[in-house]
Amino acid sequence: MAMRAAILRYIRLPARAQTLAAPRSREWTLLGGSSASRSMSSHGDDHLTKEEVVERVLSVVKSFPKVDPATVTPDVHFQNDLGLDSLDTVEIVMALEEEFKLEIPDLEADKIDSCHLAIEYIHNHPMAS
Amino acid sequence: MSAAAAASTAGYLARRAAQKERVRILYRRALKDTLNWAVHRHLFYRDASDLRERFEANKHVEDLDTIDRMIADAEASYNKWRHPDPYIVPWAPGGSKFTRNPTPPTGIEIIYDYGREDND
Repeated sequence: MAMRAAILRYIRLPARAQTLAAPRSREWTLLGGSSASRSMSSHGDDHLTKEEVVERVLSVVKSFPKVDPATVTPDVHFQNDLGLDSLDTVEIVMALEEEFKLEIPDLEADKIDSCHLAIEYIHNHPMAS
Repeated sequence: MSAAAAASTAGYLARRAAQKERVRILYRRALKDTLNWAVHRHLFYRDASDLRERFEANKHVEDLDTIDRMIADAEASYNKWRHPDPYIVPWAPGGSKFTRNPTPPTGIEIIYDYGREDND
């Protein structure tokens, strides 16, 4: 038993000795408050840039069969500018959900009426990928 | 009620707007359900266009009560046909990754001493 304890004592890192001394905590706060505790997690680390979001949203809207690709800009309104139906808007929002792997609640999705709103919503969504 | 008076009152417009919102939300859910049932994309496109035809056929109904009754019937049939195991995005409530790794509460510090006794 003493042999075992001796071996274990040798193998084990003396964790208790390494308390959170001042240099250690300073090191951690250098990473920033938000990533201090989960710096190795891959959860939500693929933040999209605005240009990426705009490009992908426009490509989804342009590939919609009832839309004329030349008239699509980042500020276009689905019903007023593109002449789409409200059901077409629903279909576009579903296509955007599938593209960015989002789950948009029904009431929020109902309010997305134009490209501008869609881009803003997706850009501000923490889980868009 | 005469069509001219009914067409422009605020109550009528509010009711129509509420109905339109219900129709949009119903169409959204029905479309997602169609995708749940028809997993393969070519089948989904076919079923989605059938669904769209059914919605378009009733597009020009004007009477508010008929519209209400049709929406109620459609919601009942949607509830009847809901998929038992729908696809939900993993991080959303109901998905497989939801609350799988919650962020640990701050201010808690774990001392890793691996059960080391004080006598060692």
